[in-house]
Amino acid sequence: MLKLKNINRKFGDFSLSEINLDITEGEYYVLLGRSGSGKTLLLELIAGLSIPDSGEIWINNQNVTGKKIQERSVGLVFQDYSIFPNMTVFGNIAYPLHSRKMKKEVITGKVNRIAGEMNISNILDRFTQNLSGGELQRVALARTLVNSPRLLLLDEPLASIDASLKDDLKRTFRQLNRNGLTIIHVTHDYREAVSLAGRVGVIHNGHIIQEGTPEKVFNEPVNRFVARYAGIRNFFRVKFFRENAFWKAVCNGNFVFNIAGNGFPAEGLIILKSSDIKIVTSEPVERFDNSFRGTVLEINPSEYGMEVTVDAGETFYACLPIDEFKLLQIRESSTVWITFSRSSAIALPGSG
Amino acid sequence: MNNNLFSWILLILSSLVLLFILAPLAGMFLDTGSSEFMQTVGDKEVQDSIWLTLWVSFAATFVFAFASIPLAWILARKNFPLKQVVQGVIDLPVVLPHTAAGIAVLGFISRDGFLGKTADALGLTLVNNPAGIALAMAFVSVPFLINSARDGFATVPERLEKAALTLGASPSRVFFTISLPLAWRSVMTGFVMMFARGMSEFGAVVIVAYHPTIAPVLIYERFSSFGLKYARPASVLFIIVALAVFILLRLISLKKKEIHLSPDAEA
Repeated sequence: MLKLKNINRKFGDFSLSEINLDITEGEYYVLLGRSGSGKTLLLELIAGLSIPDSGEIWINNQNVTGKKIQERSVGLVFQDYSIFPNMTVFGNIAYPLHSRKMKKEVITGKVNRIAGEMNISNILDRFTQNLSGGELQRVALARTLVNSPRLLLLDEPLASIDASLKDDLKRTFRQLNRNGLTIIHVTHDYREAVSLAGRVGVIHNGHIIQEGTPEKVFNEPVNRFVARYAGIRNFFRVKFFRENAFWKAVCNGNFVFNIAGNGFPAEGLIILKSSDIKIVTSEPVERFDNSFRGTVLEINPSEYGMEVTVDAGETFYACLPIDEFKLLQIRESSTVWITFSRSSAIALPGSG
Repeated sequence: MNNNLFSWILLILSSLVLLFILAPLAGMFLDTGSSEFMQTVGDKEVQDSIWLTLWVSFAATFVFAFASIPLAWILARKNFPLKQVVQGVIDLPVVLPHTAAGIAVLGFISRDGFLGKTADALGLTLVNNPAGIALAMAFVSVPFLINSARDGFATVPERLEKAALTLGASPSRVFFTISLPLAWRSVMTGFVMMFARGMSEFGAVVIVAYHPTIAPVLIYERFSSFGLKYARPASVLFIIVALAVFILLRLISLKKKEIHLSPDAEA
């Protein structure tokens, strides 16, 4: 469906380099990256708003690198929606149809149908100044979809939407994808990737540094940057060593982790998901791969329950479901034991 | 200095500036007797010269707008080598002495000049002709239109133009349906300013065409031939007509609903 081959593009001090991407028909691909990582520029290259310095862009087996924007069958929804303020909602949605010089009755029919699908039929006569973020996003989507694009590019589509409306829009995106529309969705929020993506690409400083299914990328991040994106806060710079048949990692000379796997280099990182750390209030009787005594430093509510910060010689962040947290009856300065399995400690080679 | 005293000083200084502008005009109006004024209103020569001034200035603004508005868009949107030099060239007529501007235009449109020769070949004489007056007016006033329109285009978020392109619009359709309507207020302000500036031009026009006589030249001619008393009623009438047209154009151009534009989002 879409192939990017060795795309390079310099933009002031920033450059996209050696971007290769292969998106199949009907795929939902989420490009994850911080602001300034090059993700919007990449969308503009695909849409034709910017031309690469080198490399090729293929859409539906056609090389469109030098082709006009109008000949690419690509729809782009901008981060701030870019709704035309000098037109009504109807005028905005009809805009691409007028560009194709369609008849008035055809335009009216198409606009009414897409407005119905997007639940905005009631605001067609309104100017856009007083519309909510969710309504503007739906207008922008309707305006792009009425043109029947083969490929939909979404630039941070949920960034300015109230939390309560995000689920509605996510449902809409999923439905569009299920109906066969290929979608590339750019975001800085890994939760959007988890909930929507069939495949995720992580972009950093103009490079795609990891690609794969959300499970693969978030469970096996290639470096610290990707791990941070997966919401992982536990990082430990370590030296790897082998003791008998098992590999271990030592942090700051005396803090030893038992880890799974083999063949590690001399140095690297251990990362640990907050949700993989368990907390108990008495010394565990059964033997755990990793078990450390520590003191509770802080307790803060988090998205998935309560985040407990424990000083066990190194600082650990554990995330507990509310019910589990209540049962523990812990508070700041309580003595606790943290435990986690050998396989939860993800070892990354290099400095990350 | 306490706040109250400072406010009074500001008020007095501001009033003095306003008085400086209004007092001579008010004096001129008060010193003009109603019978002299009515006589001037009925004076065919005065009527013709005011009408000539209005329509020639309007025509100059209208014709030059066709090339100047696209140029303003280019200056707002595109980066190219020597852009600052081009911007300097556009501002040049504003800083030139207007008689010197008139000499420059005359050299260009006289029979020895490039445009004059071309016009001559087509059987048209530009010197002492409304077309020559229009060119002299446009020379000194076109920077007002270009600069105002350029500032207007610069406030239109570029991403709206990009969005229109991705929706299949051609660059010309984007210009006419997005850029121009959203910069309309500034473009029309520039249009009115160019028209008003052209209408009030004396220095450049008097060198290019003493006849047919535009209102500023007529007023000067009456003053130099007959004195202040004789020039005053024509001045008052011209000011009234010019103000009326100016206010009317402002009302028409600003009647369009104001559109609030948000700045470009981060790329």
